[in-house]
Amino acid sequence: MGEDFTQQIRDKAKELLENGAVECVIGYETGSDGVSARPAFIYDAAEVDRLAFDNTCTHNLVKYLLDKKGKSTAVVVKGCDSRALNLLLSERQIQRDKVYVIGVVCPGVVEWGWNKRSEQLQKRCNWCRQHTPVVSDFAVGEPITEEPPAEFADVAEMATKTAEDRATFWRDQAERCIRCYACRQACPGCYCIDCFVELLDPEWVGIRIAPDENWMWNTIRAYHLGGRCISCNECERVCPVNIPLSLLNRKLEQEVLDLFDYKAGMSEDAPAPLITFKKDENLGIAE
Amino acid sequence: MVKEATEKVIPNPFVPYPATLTSSVDLTTDVKLFTLELDRPEDEFDYKPGQFAFVSAFGVGEGPFGLASVAYRKEGLQFAVRRVGTVTNALHQLEPGAKTGVRGPFGNFFPLDDYKGKNIIIIGGGIGFAPLRPVITTILDNREDYGEVLILNGARSPSDLCFASEFDDWAKPPRTKVELTVDAGDDNWNGRVALIPDVLAELGPSPKDAIAIICGPPIMIKFTLTRLKNLGFGDEQIVTTLEGKMKCGLGKCFRCNVGEKYVCRDGPVFTFAEISQFIEQF
Amino acid sequence: MTKILGKTGLESWLHNIMQERALVAPKHVGDLILFDPVQSVDEVVFDYENTNLSPKEFFFPRTDTLFTTKSQDNDVELIPTIIDQETVIFGIRPCDARGIAMLDGPYLDDPADSLWAQHRNKTTMIGLSCTKPAPQCFCTSVGSAPNDSSSVDIMLTEVDDGYAVEAVTEKGERLLQGVELKESDVTLSAPSCDTSVPAEGIVETVKKVFDSPYWSRLADRCIHCNVCAYVCPTCYCFDIRDRTDKGKIERIRTWESCQSKGFTRIAGGHDPRADKGSRLRQRFCHKLLYFPQQFGPLSCVGCGRCVVSCPVNIDIREIISDLQELGAKVG
Repeated sequence: MGEDFTQQIRDKAKELLENGAVECVIGYETGSDGVSARPAFIYDAAEVDRLAFDNTCTHNLVKYLLDKKGKSTAVVVKGCDSRALNLLLSERQIQRDKVYVIGVVCPGVVEWGWNKRSEQLQKRCNWCRQHTPVVSDFAVGEPITEEPPAEFADVAEMATKTAEDRATFWRDQAERCIRCYACRQACPGCYCIDCFVELLDPEWVGIRIAPDENWMWNTIRAYHLGGRCISCNECERVCPVNIPLSLLNRKLEQEVLDLFDYKAGMSEDAPAPLITFKKDENLGIAE
Repeated sequence: MVKEATEKVIPNPFVPYPATLTSSVDLTTDVKLFTLELDRPEDEFDYKPGQFAFVSAFGVGEGPFGLASVAYRKEGLQFAVRRVGTVTNALHQLEPGAKTGVRGPFGNFFPLDDYKGKNIIIIGGGIGFAPLRPVITTILDNREDYGEVLILNGARSPSDLCFASEFDDWAKPPRTKVELTVDAGDDNWNGRVALIPDVLAELGPSPKDAIAIICGPPIMIKFTLTRLKNLGFGDEQIVTTLEGKMKCGLGKCFRCNVGEKYVCRDGPVFTFAEISQFIEQF
Repeated sequence: MTKILGKTGLESWLHNIMQERALVAPKHVGDLILFDPVQSVDEVVFDYENTNLSPKEFFFPRTDTLFTTKSQDNDVELIPTIIDQETVIFGIRPCDARGIAMLDGPYLDDPADSLWAQHRNKTTMIGLSCTKPAPQCFCTSVGSAPNDSSSVDIMLTEVDDGYAVEAVTEKGERLLQGVELKESDVTLSAPSCDTSVPAEGIVETVKKVFDSPYWSRLADRCIHCNVCAYVCPTCYCFDIRDRTDKGKIERIRTWESCQSKGFTRIAGGHDPRADKGSRLRQRFCHKLLYFPQQFGPLSCVGCGRCVVSCPVNIDIREIISDLQELGAKVG
């Protein structure tokens, strides 16, 4: 990967900026620590050499397309990120003809932090069944066609706990939450103009940064992403107090998969189950 | 429990003075004029035109509002409040007799004593007219101290003109003119349909020995400023009062700052000579 | 002569403190190290770089009650919060203590914020100087040092056979009363921390580059979460709102950040900082321009938490360098 991927991305970015196909290329560059990646916005073909790709390229850059509405933009995506493109396309948040997708076949990203990187794959990469981007205008890397079936060992393990133990577990997590909303801000599926958590009329949650409110916040956010979460797990990565949000999101992902045989973001036009009403649908859950 | 040797009680500046709503009058379809009386005789509340205070709707919160009354008349603390959010909505629900709280007064004020002998042009848009009402009251109560007075009050529609019942009184004294304008008229409106800056250009008040006092939405202030400058007004002759998101009024929450200035403490009244020195846009 | 408190002496001192006061100390919480009340000395972490969150919340809690109301008939009584819990914070780093002392500027400015003042009065800070500053630390670049004792009540410095003890304030002396210290001629080394952040003259520079497109370019990357503000020992903005619970009303104050979308939006809709660039600029201008203009020092103590915690590597050290470079070009 490494240098080869980097070069392909730079070359494509140069071409797109030089021929005016896009105003900006959103990719990755090396961060201030010199060892890990961060998002980069390239507007000038002379600056494409800032772009880089390695196994710390974690951020889901699709989120930034929401700031670039109506502007021709190229974006570097990995497999998981690419599902967010379909999510936003199907929810009419971005226009396909304004986005040029540089799709990288992702070999997985490693655990890293500021000024440190390991060789251990991130949790998300163990669940990942989408190494090859589902949307791409320019492919970087050899597509992987066969992916193993989905697995939810972490969710299953949580399910072995009693309801009381689970409540204690989440209560402890909520205690740590500082309601910085980094989870929401990093999430490509969170784009409401007025997020329920900040609405004052009606005041769904209240402004206290306290366990009850924090718990409510994290739970409702997870529900809002039910059938929409594309498993990039950026929310969990950005959490400054390490709340395992994937346990909530993946529980819902599994439910949606079981009930509807649906995975969010796999196609632009598959009807999203939780906003689709079918008169004769029988889910077998209300009997 | 270990006690500190020198312990003194520090008053909590966030606790308002308990007050009672004595009257609530509709000024427009979405603006009410509230009159409040402080419950405790020992609470001091002396204020000047341009200053503001926080009014509480207990259970919801509090918000900053310009004082629409004058202290010397001792007719209670008045606030003209437009229903735009949760606090103002809750205040609009209150009936006379309801308990509320007032924190203030905060901020600086219009230096009306310094304007004595000058011609005064008062320009207000919509609810922006609220902090100008005590300016008018003070000037008209001391009419001989000031020169020509021009009052220009504008709103989106005739029913949005604040203090309509007082216009006749404002126009009564000699050398005092009241001009009204709306963005869009209705069947009963025979007056002007024009934007405030355009009306100002049409009226063309002279900048000689004059002070222009403006309050309204930022966009109105910006355009009105341009027109005043075209008429020859200097930055020192133009005074406005700014609005900012505020939570404390004490220069602590750092939400109302425009560059290095706090609207709550350095303002809300600024001359354009001051505003033109701001590093940030208001 | 240096006064030394042995390791077991320290433990029994902390144990004694806990009998009369709340002891807050670095503690493992999940996989984090946070300042938290401890019930036993065993919970205290002695060997750590710095905590994931700053100790500011023991002076400026994430949620605080300003007052509660008591209604009777048609009368409302407003009851201000009184803090009577004596607290000792052990293991506070010089940078964090300095951050707290700095916030006395805005919070004790007349009229004093009574909750802040009460927390300050009731809390004694035992500092622990840094023997091994972390890679993200740069306190030395912003006017402090790893052994800066100016903002704590007592300063401890780890030495071979325990801790060198310096009582800095009267409050510190009182807390040390009866504690047996032995004399030693050990000299304390002064570790160095990153001095390469070009913070000198930054106030003037920021004024020069205020209108630069740099801010909106930087804001491209920013996701406008509140992480930087909430981990920061010197970010002190807040929100206020009432909360009703089972008929009881309290007016509460919570942390808030200038990066929030609604931070400056007034009822009616106008928002002077509606764009991402001006919001991000506000954060850095507050730290590097407005605060110094009003109170003297930069309101950055170089703890490096924002550097480590930012999800997208908005790095204040890099920004200061960029601004200086930009300022030099503007001339």
